[in-house]
Amino acid sequence: MTNLILLNPEIILAAAGLFILLAGAFIEEARAKLLFHLGTISALAVLGMIIAHAAFSAYGAGTMWILDPGAQLFKFIILTATVFTLLLSVNYAAIQPRHIGTYTALLLWASCGMMLLSGAMDLIYLLIALELISISCFILTGFEQKNPRSAEGAIKYFLMGGLSTAVTIYGISLFYGATGTTSLFSGASAVGLHLNDPAYLMGMLFLLVGFGFKISMVPFHFWAPDAYEGAPTPVTAYLSVASKLAALGAMMRIFASVIPHQALNITLLIAGLAALTMTLGNLTALFQTNIKRLLAYSSIAQAGYMLIGLVVADPIGRESVFFYALAYLVTNMGAFAVAMIVAGRTGSYELEAYDGLARRSLGLSIVMVMFLLSLAGIPPLVGFIAKFYVFASAVNSHQFLWLAVLGVVNSVVSVYYYMNIARRMFFLESRDTSPVETDIYTACVIGITSAATLFMGLLPETFMRLVKDCVSFHL
Amino acid sequence: MTLSHYLALSGVLFAIGLFGVLTRRNVIGILMSIELMLNAANINFVAFNRFLYPGRYEGHLTVIFIITLAAAEVVVGLALVMAIYKNLKSVYVEDYNILKG
Repeated sequence: MTNLILLNPEIILAAAGLFILLAGAFIEEARAKLLFHLGTISALAVLGMIIAHAAFSAYGAGTMWILDPGAQLFKFIILTATVFTLLLSVNYAAIQPRHIGTYTALLLWASCGMMLLSGAMDLIYLLIALELISISCFILTGFEQKNPRSAEGAIKYFLMGGLSTAVTIYGISLFYGATGTTSLFSGASAVGLHLNDPAYLMGMLFLLVGFGFKISMVPFHFWAPDAYEGAPTPVTAYLSVASKLAALGAMMRIFASVIPHQALNITLLIAGLAALTMTLGNLTALFQTNIKRLLAYSSIAQAGYMLIGLVVADPIGRESVFFYALAYLVTNMGAFAVAMIVAGRTGSYELEAYDGLARRSLGLSIVMVMFLLSLAGIPPLVGFIAKFYVFASAVNSHQFLWLAVLGVVNSVVSVYYYMNIARRMFFLESRDTSPVETDIYTACVIGITSAATLFMGLLPETFMRLVKDCVSFHL
Repeated sequence: MTLSHYLALSGVLFAIGLFGVLTRRNVIGILMSIELMLNAANINFVAFNRFLYPGRYEGHLTVIFIITLAAAEVVVGLALVMAIYKNLKSVYVEDYNILKG
């Protein structure tokens, strides 16, 4: 029984990508934007399938992959991010009409890889999912062919990503040597049997490094700011949300559930890396003058907060990461959408572009402030609830009280650079006072994300119940 | 030849590859170093399979997957190198310095 039917959402998404790629070769350039809509529709259809089977749990092909509420939640997040990204891309000028088919297809394939990753229970399966994501994202990052920044971001992302893949594969080979299997689930890979085997431990550590690159954990974060700055802005939003959360989801499954890091005795190592990630991310963000770089370092810091939940790894810790992932999805997507609109009007991603924005478009400034406040963790927005949840899990565990304290200090530091943008928008003047218009697709994204940011902050119970239901990895 | 010989070879290859990635200035050189690291993992898989788990095929099978993945990755990598060479006329990483902050 291979249960291939469980992979239907992924197969449909990949097939839609193929169709769009082919259609892109034949469609007239004037109508090429239809392909974006086709991509959006197929992603929405798959999203519907995921929601319909939300409470389903089963194994596929022995224990190659798994379907459980936890995986479904991350698939939901990934597909939502994909829909937002496609909507943002519609009026992004730097994508040439004759390349729209390729662009949409690559986005769908990357999402397909992320969906596979969220249910992976076998290291070969996991590796192929990771590579599907990486290769698609490398190309997407370098998609603005004529722009040297895009090419440079892509090559840096590629070199770092290639290195991380090689390290991951070497780790998997050691894991295979120690256990005789690549399945994470099989009894042969149980921690107790191999605790004293250096190859096993090395294998898991190398795997941790590979994931560290993907979620831009310090000290493996060097690629992130450059790739984020160089990539087309919708792709930046996609990388910072979908790619990061998908890898985090897989990391939660492996290191907090299947092979718990407490059993491997690497809890303190992960705790130290989480502390470094949030501190370094925030401190570097203080000195940024480019909105994309600032949001890149902010997203590194956010990954640090999420790692706290992984360190705690009890049910509350896992719930908090799931909730944080939902909050991060809507908040960060919204912030990048506003950044894209502003840059589209002013032609610049420098922070100066935000001077006097409140006079030019009050609505846009207000939602931007909302997103920034949410990222900083100010009530009553969703970012506050998410941070509170994560820190509460750390306090609750007693052992990691210091991580919670460090997290709160970091949040205070982060208010400075987030509010610096708000200050520029409301209290500085700009020479150009022409209004900033928003096109309908971006307005749609900003509307949904800002409503969710506010609504999830005011009424968090519904969503907390949702993550509580999702938290039990089926195993 | 025992398992340790193969493991030592793969360890050395991996270390050479890692050293190359960290010290090479030429993008093509870095790409080659990454390939070395992947092949170190391949040697591991085959050696473990041959010596520890004879009669089973997971190790051999994984190597086929990895070779395919590596080929796909190199195709994209060389395309990106071409793209940046057209823009900046250089294959040396120290010239890729537009993005910083």
